[in-house]
Formats: sequence, C-alpha cells, structure tokens
Amino acid sequence: MPNIELRALKCGIAVWCAMVFLPPCGDAARNFGDAYAGSEACQTCHEDIYNNLVKSPHGLVEEGGAAGPKGEWKQHACESCHGPGAKHAGSANAAEIRNPARLAASEVNETCLSCHLNQQTHAGRLISSHAKQGIACTACHQVHAGRGRPLVTRTTPAVNELCASCHLSIWASFQKPHGHRLVQNAMNCVDCHNPHGSFRRGMGQVFAANEPGCFACHGDKRGPFTFDHAPVRFEGCGACHEPHGSVNPRALIRHEVRLVCLECHANLPGPSATNAAMGVVPPAFHDLRDPRYQNCTVCHQKIHGSYTDSFLIR
Amino acid sequence: MRPALLMAVALPLMAQNPTPPPQPAAPPAESPVPARENWLTGWIELGYRWNTGPAGSLETYRSVVNLGAGPKLVGTDFTITDPKRRLFDEFHVQAYDWTDPYSTLRVDAAKQSAYRFSASYRSLAYFNNLPSYADPLLTRGIMLNEQSFDMRRHLASMELHILPRGRFSPYLAFDHDGNSGHGASTFMANGNEYPVPYATTDITNVYRGGLSIVLRRAHLTLEEGGTTYRSDQNNYATGLNSGNSTVPVLGQTLDLTGLAQAWGIRGSSTWTRAVLTANPFSWLDVYGHFGYVDPQNSVNYTQFNAGSLVLLSQVLFYSGEQFLQTAAARMPHTSGDAGWEMRPFKRLRFHQYWSTDRLHNSGSAHGTDTLFASGATLPLSLAFKSFLATNYSQAETGMSFNATSNITLRAAYRYLWGDANDLVLPQAGLLTVRNSKLRRNVALGSASWRVFQKLLASGDFEWGSSGSQYFRTSLYDYRKARLTGRYDVSSALHLSADYMVLSNRNPLAGSPYKFLSHQESFSLQWAPSAKKVDFIGTYEHCGYHTQIQYLDPGTLVSAISKYREYCHDVTATANAVLPAFLNHARISAGGSALLTSGSRPTTYYQPLAKVTVPITQRIGWFAAWQYYGFGETYYFYENFRTNLFATGLRFSR
Repeated sequence: MPNIELRALKCGIAVWCAMVFLPPCGDAARNFGDAYAGSEACQTCHEDIYNNLVKSPHGLVEEGGAAGPKGEWKQHACESCHGPGAKHAGSANAAEIRNPARLAASEVNETCLSCHLNQQTHAGRLISSHAKQGIACTACHQVHAGRGRPLVTRTTPAVNELCASCHLSIWASFQKPHGHRLVQNAMNCVDCHNPHGSFRRGMGQVFAANEPGCFACHGDKRGPFTFDHAPVRFEGCGACHEPHGSVNPRALIRHEVRLVCLECHANLPGPSATNAAMGVVPPAFHDLRDPRYQNCTVCHQKIHGSYTDSFLIR
Repeated sequence: MRPALLMAVALPLMAQNPTPPPQPAAPPAESPVPARENWLTGWIELGYRWNTGPAGSLETYRSVVNLGAGPKLVGTDFTITDPKRRLFDEFHVQAYDWTDPYSTLRVDAAKQSAYRFSASYRSLAYFNNLPSYADPLLTRGIMLNEQSFDMRRHLASMELHILPRGRFSPYLAFDHDGNSGHGASTFMANGNEYPVPYATTDITNVYRGGLSIVLRRAHLTLEEGGTTYRSDQNNYATGLNSGNSTVPVLGQTLDLTGLAQAWGIRGSSTWTRAVLTANPFSWLDVYGHFGYVDPQNSVNYTQFNAGSLVLLSQVLFYSGEQFLQTAAARMPHTSGDAGWEMRPFKRLRFHQYWSTDRLHNSGSAHGTDTLFASGATLPLSLAFKSFLATNYSQAETGMSFNATSNITLRAAYRYLWGDANDLVLPQAGLLTVRNSKLRRNVALGSASWRVFQKLLASGDFEWGSSGSQYFRTSLYDYRKARLTGRYDVSSALHLSADYMVLSNRNPLAGSPYKFLSHQESFSLQWAPSAKKVDFIGTYEHCGYHTQIQYLDPGTLVSAISKYREYCHDVTATANAVLPAFLNHARISAGGSALLTSGSRPTTYYQPLAKVTVPITQRIGWFAAWQYYGFGETYYFYENFRTNLFATGLRFSR
C-alpha cells in the first residue's frame, strides 16, 4: 500500500477513535462545585416542573441514565440546561439563572443539540430547517412535559394546530376546496414535511432514499415511466399543483388546464439558446376555441408520464 | 473560685426543664401511598350523522367534502400503561373518523429499554368528478367529466426500532400503498376521442431496514430498502360510441364500437442510504447524506379496438386495430449532500453545504400496430427510445451572528447549477430533443429581533438572479420575503401577524413571464387562565397575479394569459364552558369562510357548532352541526350546500 494511502488510513482511524471514545469537550467540567445547587434545590420552588420533568424522557438525565454527554448530570438535570443554579437558589432572583425563553434561538438550540445533534433527525438541519431560520427547538418541543404528554404533540389534529400557529397563511390555504385533507384530520403537516430539515425543497419528506415524499401516497406517479413528463422530475409536483389547497380543480395552479399547460408549451422565439426553456408548441390542429381542446388532459391523459406513448396519450 | 464556677454551670442546668420520662416509641409514620394511576386512560366518541342534502351538485360535494350519513366512530384516543413494564411501558392508540371517507388509525407501543414500535393505517376515499375540469361535451348539455374517478386508497406502515436508546439500534419497517377503483377515461384516436370506463389497481410495497449507530461524537445510520410495484389498468367498452366529435372526417363519420385496453406494469427498486452527523470538536458540526435508488419497471400493453376509425397521416380508414407493446424503463437516482457548521466565537457561526441530485431515466418501447381495413392487414412496427436526465447541484455559504441576546442576523449566498436533457428517438410527439441549463445566484438574509420579552419580530429575504433555467415559469429573477411578528399582550392574549411576498420575473424575449403572490395574515388567540372561555381566530388575505405570453397553437399568434386570485379567508373557533347549573356543558362554535375573486371566483363556507354535556363523570353527550356551502360564479352548476347533524356519546376514563 502506498505510504500516502497508509497515512490517510491511519489518520482516518485516529479521527474515528477520537470521535468515538473522547468525551465531548463540554463534558470536561463535571465536578459540581459550589456553583451548582442540585435538582433537590430546584424542586423546592419548582415542584410541578420538576415532577413533570422526571416523568418525561428527560427524566433519564436526572436518573443518570441518559446516553451521551448528559449521562453525568445525575441529580442535576435542571442545571444541565439552565446552568449553575446556586446563586439563583440563594437569591431567588430570576436574573441569576439561565432562562432559555430569554435566549437567542441559536443558543437554545445549541443546548438541545449538545445531546440531540448526533441523531438521524438532524441530518438536514443546515440545508433546510426551522433551526436555520432561527426557530428554537422549544417552539415545538416542551422540555418539561409530563407523563402522558410527549415532548412534542403527535396526534394529527394537534400537529396541525401546532404548525398552523405560526404558518397562518398555509393553514388558510387548506380551507380552500381542493387540496389535501388536513382540515378533516386525514393527514398532518409532518406527513409531507420534516420539521427538523431535509435536503429536499420545502423541508419535504423523503421516499425511498432520495425521492419526493409525495410518492409515499401517490405511488402510481412514481414511475420510472418510459416517457417521462420532464417538469415532474425537474420541478416536482408543485410545478402544476398547489398542494396546500386551491380553488381550482385537482389543486391546480390555474383555473383551466390548458392555461397550466400553455405556460410551458408555447415558447415564443428567443434570441439565444439560453432562452430555449423546455416545452414545445402544440401542433396547429389544437383549436383552443373548441371545447375538445380546452382540457389538454382529455387526450394527454397520462400527463404525469406514460409507459407506452411519447405523446402521453395512453 | 471553684464554688462560683460550679454555681455558674449548675444554675443554667437547674433552669432547664426536667428531662421528661421516656415515652414509648411512636409507630413510624406511614409513607403516603400515591394515588394509583389508571392503567387505561383515554376517550372514545360514538355517534350518528344525518345529512340533509346535498342540494346542488352531488358530484362536487363528493369531490370536495364527501361526508355521508350513518353511524360513526368519531374518534378514540387511549393509552394503556403497564406499571410493571413487562411487554410495554405504554401502548397508545388513536383512531379518527371510522366509516367516514378518511379513516385513520395509529398505534404506538414502546418499552424504552427494548423497543419502539409504531404502526398506522389510513383508508382514504378518493373521488373526483368535477364537470368543469374535463367535460368537452358540456356545451352540448352532456355532463361527463372524462377524467373522473372513484378510488379507495389504503395506506399502512409499520416501524420497529430495537434498543432505541442503545448505541446500536437496528430497525425494520414496512409500508404499503394500495389503490383501486374505477373511473372515466378517453380512448384517443385520430380525429376523435371516446370516453370509456376503466378499472385500475396499483400496489406499492416498501421494505426497509437499517442500523443506527450513536456514538459520543458521531452518529451513522445505514439503511437498505426495496420496493415492489404492481399496477393494472383495464379499459373495456362495447356498443356504439360517437366520441367527442360528431364532425365527419373526409365525409365519413367516426365511431368506436368495441375497445379493450390493458396495461400490466411490474416494477421494483432497491436503495441504499447513509446519514452521518458528527461533532468532532465542540465548535464544529459536520453532516453528510448519501442516497441511491434504482427503480425499474416493465410494461405489457395490449389494445384491441373496432369501429369506423382513421389514420390521418395516411388518409386510411380502417375498422379494427390490434396494438401490442412491451416497454421498460430504468431510473438510477443518486443524491448526496455534506456540510458543516463552525462556531469560532460564542456569537458567530459559519456554515457551508453542498448537495447534488442526479437522475437519469432511460426507457424503450417496442410494439406492433396492426390495422384491419377493407380485408387488408397493415402491420406497423414501432420502436422508441427515451432518455431524460437532470444533474442538479447547489452550494451555500453563510453566517449567523447574535448581535445581542435579542438580535440575530443571518446572511448567506447560494449558487445553484444544473443541466437537463429530454430526448425521444425517433423524434415525435411532445417529447423531442430538449435540453436546458440552470444557473442561479441567490442572496439570503434574515433577522430576528426580540424587541422585548413579549414581542418577537423576524424577517427573511431572498433575492435570486438566474442566467438560465429549465422552464419559462421557473424562478428566474425573483425576490421573496417574509415578515412575522408575535406579541404576547398578556398571558392570555396573543397576537401574531405574517406577511409573505414572492415576485418572479422572466425578462427574456422568448419567455416573458411575471408572477406576484402575497399573503397577509393576522391571528388573535385569547385563552384566559380560568379556562371558561377561549377564542382563536385568523384572517388571511392573499393575492396571485401572473401574466405570461404564449403562442396560440391554432393561429401561432401571440396571446397573453393572465391569472388573478384574491382571497379573504377567516377561520375562528370559540369555546365556552357553561356554569354549574347548566351542568358545565361545553359549547364550541366557529368554522371558516373563504371568498375569492379573480379568474375563478369561489365562496366556501364551513361553519360549525358543537355542544358537549357531561352526563356522568365519565360519560358525555354531544351534538354537532356543520354546514357546507360552495359556490362558483362561472361554474354555477357545481354549487352545493348541505347541513350535517351529528349526535353521540363520549366515554372517557
């Protein structure tokens, strides 16, 4: 093996071992000195919050059973997020304790991610996520939630309600007559979007390894087709549909089918090759005054892609 | 001296109370026994619904609402807790709207030290028959949507994680998507098209399994999966079918007297996925993702049709046709992304990422088309190859700065590039040789400002400029902005507002296009701590404007297509708990109202009211009313209205 490859391999093993076995840098100071009061002191005044916490999944931190860096915070679960609390316990002054509600979102998230970063959930965090947009984890997750209440709501109506509390316009779109059935609680926002982030546009869920989440329910549109309709692959379903709701049938982005189609299939002559966007002009027998030609999908019915016909007719 | 000292010591001792005689030891105080928690908690609602209508278009009602009458399982949500944690810690079941068109069931069970299991099932009615959508015969008084369907979709999924809190956590999952039903379609022939019925089924099964490795500074998930796909569609019609056109072609009337079409599609795919996150240093996070999937399908298609038909390219009239075709397609799809976030200082962080998505579809079709005309047989061999590919990438560099604990500023630059090819050989149809490129520069900025503890304002802005794009309507030169604000007036009263705008313009001579959309919304939430009354209401106004030039295919004259939509949408819900002499009955009222104007003026009202009266501590009676009123100015034949009444019992524990 050439030297350079051997060195690279050794470096790789060294980095891997460091990542696996070395404790995170933040764990270095775990000697609870005078600055820390311990959860017992917190419980004295914040009994309800403490009782909820120990019954929640975060109770593992208090028990000392949490995996990862918070495993060493036994009986100091409160201070593992709020910081040293002895001063606050002595003075009862709210200014002398770290309150995530008053911190910038990035600082709140840093606290949460000190444990939760190394999970599959956060793989798309940097590309497209609430965190990137300055939304704190605590906007959706209740850190102190008690037994019977998960840290984040999971019932369909409650998920929709939670998302709608910020995405007012999107929820309003679902009141339109044609769209996905969220108002009827047949679906929730998380069926299509990953709130933690995704490498797909719009924080979209992923089907199979990397395909749009739409195919999880609309499997018949997945293909591969012998004759694909290019915008379905290049731009996604949103090229023609408004999935959140529309006043147009089939949740289309325009009120008549031909107007959707003609936006691409009507290229005017352009001065250069760069203007030659995809889409061809239909042959002249397409008389748009005739009702037969006013809905292109009457003939081109396999509009999402055809297995048998290049005209997308059958 | 000594007597004085003795006196000084003795006096205080003498002043003390004499030592009480020893008492018998009190029995140790019994530790308080906590109230035993119920092993079963939850509720179930059962009822019956009446539907007074609908008055107006039943087809539109079924396409939009589709709620029927009859006995209903309105919903249930219960949790079983095992205090000894034998098989599970908790077992949670939710089900909604059984016997309605949208029935859902979800089951979660977990024993945190051993496994986590979730399963869900949905049965969705999928009905669509809107005459305004695809009815070429409407002007002749025939209401038949030639693209209508009545389907039932069943979706099921199961996922099992073993040792969910362990360093090594394997998981297995299965998903099923099945769709079956019938509808109206068209058989397209030269000179005419004929509406025909069809029946279809398609089933996608997804199998996947993987292993999550969670280490102190890194996480890695490896997943392998596969799908199987099966789809069958059959069109069958006998009898005289005049089609959509009664105009004779070259003096001869065209018709269809018999048709049988069948598609048999079989497909499969396998995929590999890997996800990595790591923080090798406290100031550095890195992540990476890789995905590869290789779906493929094979198709057998048969078609037999008879009637008075024409092949216009050869001016040939024929009475029968047999078309047999096989086809196959394969679409390897690779994607990957990687990035890092670095925090060199407490308030400053940098990030960078790169992602790519590469999809290459190739297909081929071979067939024989045999025409039967005047005793002669004319066989035609057909062979096509198709190729569609896109390579798309983007990279972003950005930073975030906490100017103060109340102000956060972010800025980033993103570059997107790609190319796309679409080719069919021999060149024919809508799909010929097309290729295009994507080049786009995007600047992003955002700010969050906590003006004071109760007022939070944030905004983000995106400015994009393109050198080329794939489609005329793609984002080209665009501006996107969003402003949001939230003000907690008190612990009971919260106000929020949201404004979004997107402006896109393609200035190129060959594809002039303008697009502008904006939404403004305002929300008020009032929930006093006494919890006797609460209210939440939202108002939204939206506007969409598009303008694009196109060539009229018939005349090749340039024309302009405009689309306008302005909407006003109000949603509100108010709840009140009545006084004790009314048995603490709970009243809810609200609903939504939508009014749009522009290209397709529409009104859609959905008011509702519900009253729940406790009968005993665990049983309540409810009654509900909901009204659906739908109206369209231009497509008035689709209007409907109906009242739904429901009543039932709620059992809770």
